[in-house]
Amino acid sequence: MMRKGYMGKILMVNLTTGDIHEETLPDTVYRKYLGGMGLGAHILYNRIPKGADPLGPDNILGFLPGLLTGTGSLFTGRWMVVGKSPLTGGWGDANCGGTFSPEIKHCGYDGIFVSGISPKPVYLYVDDYTKELRDASEVWGMDAVETEEYLEKHSKKSGKKPKVVCIGPSGENISLISGISTDKGRMAARSGLGAVMGSKKLKAIVLSGQKRIRPHNHDEMKRISKICNAWVRFQPPFVTGPMTAFVGALLRIMPTVLTQDGMLYKILLKKWGTVSMNQMSPEMGDAPIKNWKGSSKDWGIRKSYSSNPDVFKKCETVKFHCYSCPLGCGGICTMEGKYSHTHKPEYETVLSLGGFCMNDDVESIFYLNELLNRAGMDTISAGHAVAFAIECYEEGIITKNDTDGLELTWGNSKAIIALIEKMVKREGFGHVLADGVKQAVLRIGKGSEAFAIHAGGQEPAMHDSRNDPGFALHYSVEPTPGRHTLGSHLYYEMFQLWKVVKDIPKIPPMYLKGSKYKNNEKQAAIGAANSRFMTLVNSTGACMFGAFIGAKRFRLFDWMNAATGWELGPNQYMDLAGDIHTLKQAFNVKHGIEPKDCKISERALGRPVQNQGANKGRSIDIEEMMAHYWEEFGWDSITGKPTRETLEKLTAQA
Amino acid sequence: MAYYITEDCIGCTSCAKLCPTGAAQGEKKKHHQIVQEHCIECGTCGRICPKDAVEDPFGSRVKGEKKKFWKKPEFNLKTCSACGICVDACPVGCIIYGKASKKDKTAYPELISNDGCISCGFCVYECPVDAVTLVPPQDVAEEKNVA
Repeated sequence: MMRKGYMGKILMVNLTTGDIHEETLPDTVYRKYLGGMGLGAHILYNRIPKGADPLGPDNILGFLPGLLTGTGSLFTGRWMVVGKSPLTGGWGDANCGGTFSPEIKHCGYDGIFVSGISPKPVYLYVDDYTKELRDASEVWGMDAVETEEYLEKHSKKSGKKPKVVCIGPSGENISLISGISTDKGRMAARSGLGAVMGSKKLKAIVLSGQKRIRPHNHDEMKRISKICNAWVRFQPPFVTGPMTAFVGALLRIMPTVLTQDGMLYKILLKKWGTVSMNQMSPEMGDAPIKNWKGSSKDWGIRKSYSSNPDVFKKCETVKFHCYSCPLGCGGICTMEGKYSHTHKPEYETVLSLGGFCMNDDVESIFYLNELLNRAGMDTISAGHAVAFAIECYEEGIITKNDTDGLELTWGNSKAIIALIEKMVKREGFGHVLADGVKQAVLRIGKGSEAFAIHAGGQEPAMHDSRNDPGFALHYSVEPTPGRHTLGSHLYYEMFQLWKVVKDIPKIPPMYLKGSKYKNNEKQAAIGAANSRFMTLVNSTGACMFGAFIGAKRFRLFDWMNAATGWELGPNQYMDLAGDIHTLKQAFNVKHGIEPKDCKISERALGRPVQNQGANKGRSIDIEEMMAHYWEEFGWDSITGKPTRETLEKLTAQA
Repeated sequence: MAYYITEDCIGCTSCAKLCPTGAAQGEKKKHHQIVQEHCIECGTCGRICPKDAVEDPFGSRVKGEKKKFWKKPEFNLKTCSACGICVDACPVGCIIYGKASKKDKTAYPELISNDGCISCGFCVYECPVDAVTLVPPQDVAEEKNVA
């Protein structure tokens, strides 16, 4: 009997031939690649042939729980979906919570990998006795929520409810900004992996397993979890929703910054969820406004008041906890006469469809959140596509003739709704935008590339890289560019990694804001530590919000040792993570990606600099920072490609 | 590691009816067996067996008991953080999130079916913060004491 936290097997599914078989993995694979993202990188690097079409049969889509999922650790119920991204052409991954992750392990697997293309729509059903592809013609065309309800009802045998992940119409239409949905509205949205699933004609995966997940040292797991839980439960009464805006304004005005303890964010997240940042972020300069052109002046407290955190809190009927999460930042909302059950919009959704498009109609945001969740489309990329189109319209590059009569002006919520409805259906002008801004530029031309903000094809998130150089770095250098969940200066402050990991930069208790823009070498070292740590987080199935409370309270390294029986130190784990990170970059190079081309668009780097607002005068010397970051991993400082020595070291250890 | 049905089995099918994974199998009045691959060691077969014919993975006989006396989970909401691990761990889907609390809209786990609960104790074992305990059902506990 295995008592190592992992199951020791993966499931390989070939949709072209219908072959489904298990593969046993040796312990050495786990010891080197851990699980989740790391295991995904190992399988995909070795098995996707060079130059494979992301939407073709050679691409492999992997669904992976984390190494720590189900082992008695907290905040470790997230799953990864990995594949070659059709949006960037390189390494693609997306992360999602909900209750699906442990079910993969209950079925006995540390990953389910799907290759080939099915001749007709199918869904994969796995339980303890059955592994089969079933006809999905009944559900093809249904939205993500309907699909899940239908498959739950038709797959339930007795007792436990089966767990479902599926794509909506957006993924079926192979929209390159579509994601994979679970729990009726939670989404692994990024990297366009919903389109990969759609291209394979795989509508859903339904799992219903009963196998148990056994950690090496159960008592030790509990001991560490209790420490974490005690910190999460600490919840003093806090300010009202609109008052968060003033906290943000204070952070903007102050020339110095106190190193921020993630407990503050934990308290906000526990009370409101991510929407707690709706007003605070624009005020402190963390939220890009008006397609990265505007500032906190354009989206002041009065405008952002429409989406203040209390608006969302009021219609929240019950909190939503992902599996093994003691925090519960999610929520289910009910709006009389409109929705009986809709997931509370996240901060990213509210800002990308709100301030980013200058839209202060909060009802439209609720509607669009539900529409996009059901369609299975990424709200961040959709918001970017809409803001891009509005700017093109305002600048006269496109007219009403191009937009099917829509008057695409800033803040015109009716036009925004109509446009997104078209994008979901790929109708008319919606088709132009349904694959993200990079593809839209190819379809529109006429100099529209100036308004398309992306990094290597992927739209960045609602965190302004001019306000935090860390975001600029991670948007530009990660193997999956344009992502906000892999690091920033603020995240580093909250992770407090230097308290447990040796030889990484320490952040002083107080520092001048401007100092972040000066020492590029230190910023790169911070970025490298963030990337390594987030690789561990994503390989263990952990949640970044959990990691925010600090490394001494959220003891990821101790949990890993207790779950597996290994006796590795934090620095050894960080080294393993560095190797996984290099493997992802090697995947990109293998598939023809030039890392330096993934640099985020100039506007997001403060070129030209803004002349007003929180980020006035800020610009990022990204090129120098990127070179230092690449050196941190043994990649070439000019091309960003792993050097021969680094790759030889990587293969020698395998 | 799995439970094992000894030769004392009379083939009453009680274990096969209750086994949450279908691992306990056999025809009526014939010796039953447990398919090792599917056994999750919940011990239900042993608890329901009228002849104490089942051995646990360590080779000890499991003592059977009338189902109405089986212990049920009780949740200590002062410690519970509603992380859902017990909801996921319950092999018969008897634990679900209840109604949202008025205080902070958190829904805590609750047992939805006394009859469905197989008293496996997985919720207790898996709870990372020891907020679940197994207690005798109150009404029948009194009955048992009187008896």
